[in-house]
Amino acid sequence: MQNSLLNRHFILRQIARSRRQVIVFILCVALSIVTLISLNGFSMSVYTSMLNDARTLHAADIIIQSNQDLSPAVIKAVARLENKNKIISARVWEFYSVVRNQNGQNSLLTKIKVVQPGYPFYGRVVLKSGRDFDAVLTPGSIVVAPALLERLQLRVGDGLRIGNTALTIADVVVQEPDQPVDFFQLGPRVFIAAEDLNKLGLVTKGSRVGYKCLIKALDKNNIRSITNQLSMAADEDQERVETSQVARSSVKRFFDNLLFDLSLICIFTLLLAGIGIQSTLAAFLKEKEKTIAVMKTVGATSQFITRHYIVILTMLGLSGTILGLFSGLLLQNALEFLFSGLLPKSVKLIISWEAVVEGLCIGILVVGLFSFIPLHRLKDIKPVSIFRKERIRFKMGLPIFLSAFLIFAFFVLLVLRQIKEIKAGLYFVLGVIVLIVVTSLLTALVLFVLKRLKIRSLIIRQALKGLFRPKNATKSIIITLTASLSVIFSIYLIEENLDAAFIQSYPSGAPNLFFLDIQPSQLERFSKTLGMPTEYYPIVRAKILSINGNKVDRKQQRRRRGDNLARTFNLTYRDYLLEDEVIVKGSSLHRSDWGDLQVSVMDTVAKIQSMKIGDRITFKIQGVPLQAKISSIRSRTRESIRPFFYFVFPPGTLQNAPQTIFTALRIEKDRVASLQTKIVETFPNVSAIDVTSTLSFFTNIMKKLSLIIRFFAGFSIVAGILIILSSVLATRFARIQEAVYYKILGARSRFVVKVFTLENMLLGLVSAALALIISQAGSWLICSQVFDIAYRPLVAKCALLIGGTVLLVVAVGLIPSISIMRKKPIVFLREQSQE
Amino acid sequence: MQKNSSLLLFILFLIFFAQGCGEEPPSYSEQKAPAHDGVIVAVGDSLTEGLGVEEEFAYPAKLEEKLQLLGYNYRVINAGISGETSSATLSRIDWVLTLKPDIVILVIGANDGFRGITPELIKSNIIQIIRKLKENNVVVVLGGMQMVQNLGVDYTAAFEKIYPAVARSENIILIPFFLSSVAANPELNQADGIHPTKEGYQVIVDNMTPFVLEALKAMQTGTN
Repeated sequence: MQNSLLNRHFILRQIARSRRQVIVFILCVALSIVTLISLNGFSMSVYTSMLNDARTLHAADIIIQSNQDLSPAVIKAVARLENKNKIISARVWEFYSVVRNQNGQNSLLTKIKVVQPGYPFYGRVVLKSGRDFDAVLTPGSIVVAPALLERLQLRVGDGLRIGNTALTIADVVVQEPDQPVDFFQLGPRVFIAAEDLNKLGLVTKGSRVGYKCLIKALDKNNIRSITNQLSMAADEDQERVETSQVARSSVKRFFDNLLFDLSLICIFTLLLAGIGIQSTLAAFLKEKEKTIAVMKTVGATSQFITRHYIVILTMLGLSGTILGLFSGLLLQNALEFLFSGLLPKSVKLIISWEAVVEGLCIGILVVGLFSFIPLHRLKDIKPVSIFRKERIRFKMGLPIFLSAFLIFAFFVLLVLRQIKEIKAGLYFVLGVIVLIVVTSLLTALVLFVLKRLKIRSLIIRQALKGLFRPKNATKSIIITLTASLSVIFSIYLIEENLDAAFIQSYPSGAPNLFFLDIQPSQLERFSKTLGMPTEYYPIVRAKILSINGNKVDRKQQRRRRGDNLARTFNLTYRDYLLEDEVIVKGSSLHRSDWGDLQVSVMDTVAKIQSMKIGDRITFKIQGVPLQAKISSIRSRTRESIRPFFYFVFPPGTLQNAPQTIFTALRIEKDRVASLQTKIVETFPNVSAIDVTSTLSFFTNIMKKLSLIIRFFAGFSIVAGILIILSSVLATRFARIQEAVYYKILGARSRFVVKVFTLENMLLGLVSAALALIISQAGSWLICSQVFDIAYRPLVAKCALLIGGTVLLVVAVGLIPSISIMRKKPIVFLREQSQE
Repeated sequence: MQKNSSLLLFILFLIFFAQGCGEEPPSYSEQKAPAHDGVIVAVGDSLTEGLGVEEEFAYPAKLEEKLQLLGYNYRVINAGISGETSSATLSRIDWVLTLKPDIVILVIGANDGFRGITPELIKSNIIQIIRKLKENNVVVVLGGMQMVQNLGVDYTAAFEKIYPAVARSENIILIPFFLSSVAANPELNQADGIHPTKEGYQVIVDNMTPFVLEALKAMQTGTN
C-alpha cells in the first residue's frame, strides 16, 4: 500500500465498486440544489415583477389620495420638489357622471378619469388604434371604453356631451394599467385631458370626486424621503400619502402566500434529500466496513482512511452540486413556460449568482453535516470485524450528539429562513418532530405485531424473517420511508383537495353576469325579456335580534375576527336544496309539521355561535320581529362562486317581506354587452354586473398556480423515489448473501425471487399504509383548520398511491437481485473471499 | 399560518358580492318599546339606516329623543336599508305598512342618483310610494335630496326638481333638502364624504323637527 497522501486508485475503486449508491447520493445532492435554485429564482422573479406590478398598479412611485381637493400645503410641497428636479407629478380626478350623446336622447352613467399629461408613469394605457395615449388625449378629445360605444350606439369620431361641454371620442381604451381587474364599476370608463376639467364644470363644491396626485421619483433612492416630506405637508385627516411598495396590494399578499406554500414543499424536499444523502452514505460506508477493517489490519491509519473518504465524499458532493446547477439552468426553460402569463413579459427569469452561491453553500453544508456521523464512525471499525458477523457497535460520543444537534439547528434555521416567521416556523419544526415520533412509534408497533405472527407458508415466513434478519435495518428503513411517503402523500392530498375546492369551482359554467335589484313585480316580465331559464334568488335583508331569547351582543360580536352575528344577513326562501348543498343535521331542509316559522341554517353560521336543531332565532326584518325554529343545518359541498344563503326559509312567511331578486347567469362573452343593454333599457332599476374578464383572469391564474405547485411537488416525489432506491440499496449486500445461502441450500431462483418480492412488498405495504394514515390525518387537519375547505379522503387515488409505492419498492428491490440470481453461488463466494 | 388567505378572501368576496351584499352594515341596537302615542317609521337608505354610525346616533333614534324632550311620546322605527333604491322601497312599502305607522318620513333616491337612474323613474316610484301610504291614512314627510354635482347639471337639475314637484302634486310635507348644511361639509360627514357623522345627524334632526311637528299637527287634525 502506497504511503502517499492520497491514493488515486483506491479512491476510484471505492467509487466504482458502489456505483449505485454513488449515483443515488449524487442525485440527492443535485436534487436539493435544483429545488433551492428553482424556488429562489422563482421568488426573486416574483418580487422583482411585483415591484414593477405595484408601480404599474398605481402608475406611480408615490400617490397622494383624498376625497377632497388636495390641500394647498401638499400642492406647494409637490411643486417645490418638482422645481428641484426631484420628481415629476400628474394629477388625476376620478368620478361618475351621466353623459349624453349629441342629440341628448340617450344617457349613460360613466366613470370619468381626468388626467394630466404624464399619466401613467408606469405601465401603458393601451388604445385600440395602437397609438400613443399621450398623443391621442389632447384637449377636446376623449378616450372611452368599448362598452360606452355599444351602449350609446356611438362610433369613434362622434361627439359626447359631458357636463357643460361636448368632447370628441378619439379612441377606445383596451387596457388601463392602474385598473387591471375591474371588479365593481357601475359605468364604462371615459378618459379626459386635464385642460378640459374646468370646461366640464363637474368638479365643484358638492361633487363627489376622488382626487389623486401621482408622483414619479427621478431617483428611486429618494422615494422614502420624498414620501416623508409629502406626508408632513399633507392634511392628516383627509390625505393619504402612499408609496407603491407599501400600498396595500392583494397581489403581494397573494404571492407571499404562494411562495410560503412553495417554501414548505421545498423544505420538505430538502429534508427528504438530506435523508437520502444520509442513508445512501450509510449504505455506502457499510459496504466498505470490511475493506476498511482489512486496510486497518495491514496498517492503514484512521487518518489515512478518513482523509480518503473525505476526498471521495467531497468529489461526490461537488459532482452532485455541479449536476444540480446545470439541471437548474436547464429547468429555467421549463420555469419560464410554467410562469408565462403569471409574470409580466418584461421580467426575465434569471438564475441569479446569489442563488447559485447560496445553492452551493447549502449543498456543501448538507453533505458535510450528513456525512459527519458516518465518517466519524469509520474510526470505530476494528480489524477484528472481518471475522465477526454481528453489527459493529458505534460509540455515542460527544461528536455524534454535537453533529446531530448541528443538523437539527441547520434544519431549524433553514425553515425559519424560508418561512420568515418565527411562530409559523416553530410550528413547522414541531410538526416535523411529531411526524418522526409518530412514525417511529407506529413502526415499532407494526414490527412488534409482525414478529409475533405465526405463519404457515414458508415463503411468507421467510419474507417476514427477512425483515428481522440481524444486520437488516428494517426499522430505520420503514421509518425513513414512512416519514417521506407521509410528506409526499400529504402534499398530494392537500394539493388535490385545494384543486377540487378552488380550481374546479371555476368551471366553464360559472356565472359571469349578475343582475341585482330585480323587483318582485318585475319578475315575470324580466324572465320573459331574458328569455332563458335561470335560478332567481329572492333576498330579504334582516338582522338577528336574539337566539333562544338571548340577545345578540352587538359590541362583542363586532369584535370577532371574521364573520359575526351583528351584521345584516340576506335571507331567502325556497323549498329545495341547491345542487352544491347537503344537509348535515336534520332530516330534511324544512319540517312539514312545523309550519312556516322555521329556517335552515348554513353550518358556517352555526360555527359563529353554536346552534342546534330546534333553537329559536329571532330576526328583525326592517322593524318587524320574526321568530323561527332551526329545522336543519346545511353545508356546501364545494367552494364556488355560485350564490348561497346562510338562512333559508320555506316559502310562505317571507314571500310578503320586502325583498329584491337577483340572478346569476352564464352568457357567452360576445353576448354579454347586448343582453346587458337590453335588460337595463327595459328595467332601468336593475343593475347588471359583468365579471367575465375577472372570471377568465382568475381561472387562468388558478390553473397556472396548480401547475406551479405540482411542479415543485414533483421535486419531492423525485426525492421519495431516491429514498426508496437508497433504502433498498442499503440492504443490498445482506440480500446478496442471503440469496447465495438459499441457493446453496438448494432453493431455486424462483423461490428466492418470491421471498425477496414478498419481503419488499411487506416493506412497501407497511410504509405506505402507515404513511397513508399519517398523511390522511395531517391533510385533513391542514385542509379543515388552515385552508378551511371541505376535505375529501380520495380513497381510489389513495389505493393507487399505495399500489404505486409497493410496485416501486418491489421493482427497485428486485433490480439488484436479478444479477444475484444469475450468478452461481460459488462466484459470489469467491468474490467475497477475495476482498 | 394564514396560507392562501388572500385567495380565500377573494373568493369570499366574490361570494359575498354574489349574495348582493355590498356594504358592511352598521350595528343595530334594539329599540325599547314603551307605551307610546303613535308610530313614526323612517323609510330610506343608508342615510336613514345610519351607515358608519351606531344606530342610536342615526337620525330616527335622535329624532325620537328630541320628540320625547318636546313632549311627544312617539316611537320612531328605523326602517332604512343601505344601498336601497326607490324601486326597492316601492316593493317593500306593504311591509312598512305592517308596522302600522302614523307618519312615514321618506328619504329615498340618492342611490338611484349614484347609479344614474333616470329621474322620471325615481319620480314615478316616489309618487307610487306616497299614494300607497296615503291610501292607508299615513301622513307622509318627504325628504328632499340633491345629487352630487359631478353627475352633470342636466342630471342634477332634473333630480332636484323631483322632490318639490312631487310634494306639490301629492300635497305632502317637504323637507326642502334633507342634508341641508350637512352635505359637502367635511366636519359633519364621514371620510367617504357622503354619510353624515353623529354630529351631522344632530344637525339633520334639528333641521327636520319643524316639519315633523307639522306632520304631527296634520295627523291630529286629520288633514294631509
